[in-house]
Amino acid sequence: ANELLLELLHSELVSYVTNVENKEPGSKQGNLSTLEYFGFSTGFRMIERLTKEWPRFKDELDTVKFMCTDFWSSVYKKPIDNLRTNHQGVYVLQDNAFRFMNKISTGTQYLDVAPMYIAYTSGLLRGALANLGINCHVTAEVQSMPTCKFHIQVQRN
Amino acid sequence: MTIHNLYIFDKNGTLLFYTEWNRLKNSGITREEEAKLMYGMLFSIKSFVAKISPLDMKKGFLCYKTNKYALHYLETPTGLKFILNTDVNAHDVRELLQKIYSQVYVEYIVMNPVCKLDEPIKSELFKEKLDELIKNSPFFVSKSL
Repeated sequence: ANELLLELLHSELVSYVTNVENKEPGSKQGNLSTLEYFGFSTGFRMIERLTKEWPRFKDELDTVKFMCTDFWSSVYKKPIDNLRTNHQGVYVLQDNAFRFMNKISTGTQYLDVAPMYIAYTSGLLRGALANLGINCHVTAEVQSMPTCKFHIQVQRN
Repeated sequence: MTIHNLYIFDKNGTLLFYTEWNRLKNSGITREEEAKLMYGMLFSIKSFVAKISPLDMKKGFLCYKTNKYALHYLETPTGLKFILNTDVNAHDVRELLQKIYSQVYVEYIVMNPVCKLDEPIKSELFKEKLDELIKNSPFFVSKSL
């Protein structure tokens, strides 16, 4: 029932943020950055807890691999299905059965609400990587639920 | 054996969902009127059964049969009502109704944050999963009468 709690709490978060009173005038989506920030601080703290028994990571790719397997499994009970990279700081993580969308649709119905349900997770990834010393931008795209792609773009100094 | 149609009502009597597979005779009234009629009848049967019962009941009204079809009724503790019409020989329909509730309704409506719980069901995924469950059930055979 633990997973149930997370899912329901997450959907309440989404509906709270998209609520009429919290919307900036003129915006259709409500305040996505609030959700993203919730994710960021959750991820930032969570990664500390998850890596406490781990040795240091070899390099950036190693870190991202850790995110795809252990990190993802601990939140979503399954690893990422596909990881691609151009070896220049761009990583694409694909989940073919993203948990927050599994129950919503398998196709294009309700696609308009998809951004609301990935904002938190984008933040989660960004927060976790930030605490591992990788500053990045995370964006996500959904073409057909419940498949979800997260693009990680590492910021080099 | 065959499955005719399914109604889902919420606790206030709103028709949440209706679908049919093998319905050969139409009521000749609109879907809304039909739903009201159906809900009214079930409501009456429920109170009738409760008043007339000589013993304390656990489950109350479960089903009725005519010579042509059987109506199976499942009410959840939260007041949702599932009504499935089948032919008279179908058995284990309660189990199927329970599955519709626990494996399809709870999973794909209650856990779908986009679906409002007191409004008619629009989710395509729900319809897909329901159809799959019904068509895989051992007594779904489209009988040509």
